[in-house]
Amino acid sequence: MSILSEISENLQRGKAKIVKELVQQAIDEGIPAQDILEKGLLAGMDVVGDRFKKNEVFVPEVLVAARAMNMGTTLLKPLLAESGVEAAGKVCIGTVKGDLHDIGKNLVKMMMEGKGLEVVDLGTDVAPETYVKTAIEQNCQIICCSALLTTTMPVMGEVVKEAEKAGIRDKVKIMIGGAPVTEAFCQQIGADKYTTDAASAADAAVEFCRGMA
Amino acid sequence: MTSKERVLSTLNFTNTQERIPRQLWSLPWAQEHCPEMMERLSRDFEWDFDGPDTVLKEQPVTKGDAYAVGEYVDEWGCIFTNIHRGVIGEVKQPIVEDDDWDDVGRVHIPEELLSFDIDQVNRSCEQKQGKFLFASCCPRPFEQLQFIRGTANLYMDLMDPPPKLLEFMKRMHDFYSRLMEKWAKTEVDSLNMMDDWGSQNDLLINPQLWDEYFGPMYRDYIDIAHQNGKKIFMHSDGNILRIIPKLIDLGLDAVNSQLFCMGLENLAPYKGKITFWGEIDRQHLLPRGTTADIDQAVESVYRTLWQDGGCIAQCEFGPGANPENVYRVYQAWEKIRNK
Repeated sequence: MSILSEISENLQRGKAKIVKELVQQAIDEGIPAQDILEKGLLAGMDVVGDRFKKNEVFVPEVLVAARAMNMGTTLLKPLLAESGVEAAGKVCIGTVKGDLHDIGKNLVKMMMEGKGLEVVDLGTDVAPETYVKTAIEQNCQIICCSALLTTTMPVMGEVVKEAEKAGIRDKVKIMIGGAPVTEAFCQQIGADKYTTDAASAADAAVEFCRGMA
Repeated sequence: MTSKERVLSTLNFTNTQERIPRQLWSLPWAQEHCPEMMERLSRDFEWDFDGPDTVLKEQPVTKGDAYAVGEYVDEWGCIFTNIHRGVIGEVKQPIVEDDDWDDVGRVHIPEELLSFDIDQVNRSCEQKQGKFLFASCCPRPFEQLQFIRGTANLYMDLMDPPPKLLEFMKRMHDFYSRLMEKWAKTEVDSLNMMDDWGSQNDLLINPQLWDEYFGPMYRDYIDIAHQNGKKIFMHSDGNILRIIPKLIDLGLDAVNSQLFCMGLENLAPYKGKITFWGEIDRQHLLPRGTTADIDQAVESVYRTLWQDGGCIAQCEFGPGANPENVYRVYQAWEKIRNK
């Protein structure tokens, strides 16, 4: 098995320390950082994401895989920056104002990072203006809003309006998700995409970024 | 027939004539925001469930108000942050921070909850005779571990549990077992427990982990109840379809879960095997449904899950719910069977 396959396999099993060692070994062997990232780490996260979408693995498996990926990317980041490798796109994500739940939001973030996207995490209880300000200042192509409560869902509509007000609505895609959110609600507030799970959200975000490149 | 007899006949699938038992779950939010509807509900319907007033000789140490804005520390020492009055907050700062659980000594197992007097509880039960009475305790091992360690940390720990976590889980289970044993010696009719196991689509953790660590705990609590002639109820939010048959095998009497998130048709095979302790969809129908939607939802639950028992009319009156819809739920159930 090649070292890149080994990285992918161990990442899928959440073996963070082994992944870190293998990534270091791959760097020492002179394998380009971009190859280690794409054919090792991201390839492993792709498998995890697919299996999560099919309900074959669950939240803990995704979390340990993401932890392993982070251990590897920490080593790769300076090398990727040196060689001018850019992320596949940039996203800002947060749980909307009035809502402190963050497991769903964190899963989406991990899955997006696992697709090679750069994610700015705004945390929880995020005001509509903060999403829009961040998207402008950090050149994000996508704003992602999460909500668990039926009472906080309407804030997602305010984010859409705020983006319109700031004149960036044609430059950013707005994605929404969370337990009570539906496709009908997405259409009603004029957001661009609703997905039912974190892995599908990451797939959709990659598609948007490709389309906007 | 008394409320107690009505609930028991429903749990035993022998309720051929009587109305369906009912219970309202209301968060403090409902009393604060909709006092008139709360008054109307309490005036217009007879409620079948209650619990004894319980006096603890030793008070567990808590700080703040669980339902107020700000910080609340629970009986275990877990710290909740809340930004909405009337509902419970979220844990943002775990008390066990060490990956090997070396700092587990920070957790306080609230033995004080065992300091009630059985005779005092029984006197209170006697005053509420006729109602179906719940114990005032509710083991929630999975959730309490999340409150202690933080959700994401705990999930990762469970993938390869450090010895001190496993040791703590044993201590926690021992405490909960003793609590259930003591409550099972009182005159209450049922014990109860809770843990949210589902996301919107599936279980939160791998079912194998559930089988290995948590199923056995629930089996012990259920056995304690049944060995003492009590019923046992459980609440679990989310899509828990995968564990409903497991809970039935363990002998659980009644489950409160999000029926509509799982799809009523998927629950039809379990009709007559367990009692569905509510609910009516609080994510979509209670906030935004029409009265016709509510009538249809209640009718569907009854048609799909009732078999001379097996349903309890219940819904949650919390933030976002349209008060008229909450009222309509109980009206609709009453229309179905009104004796």
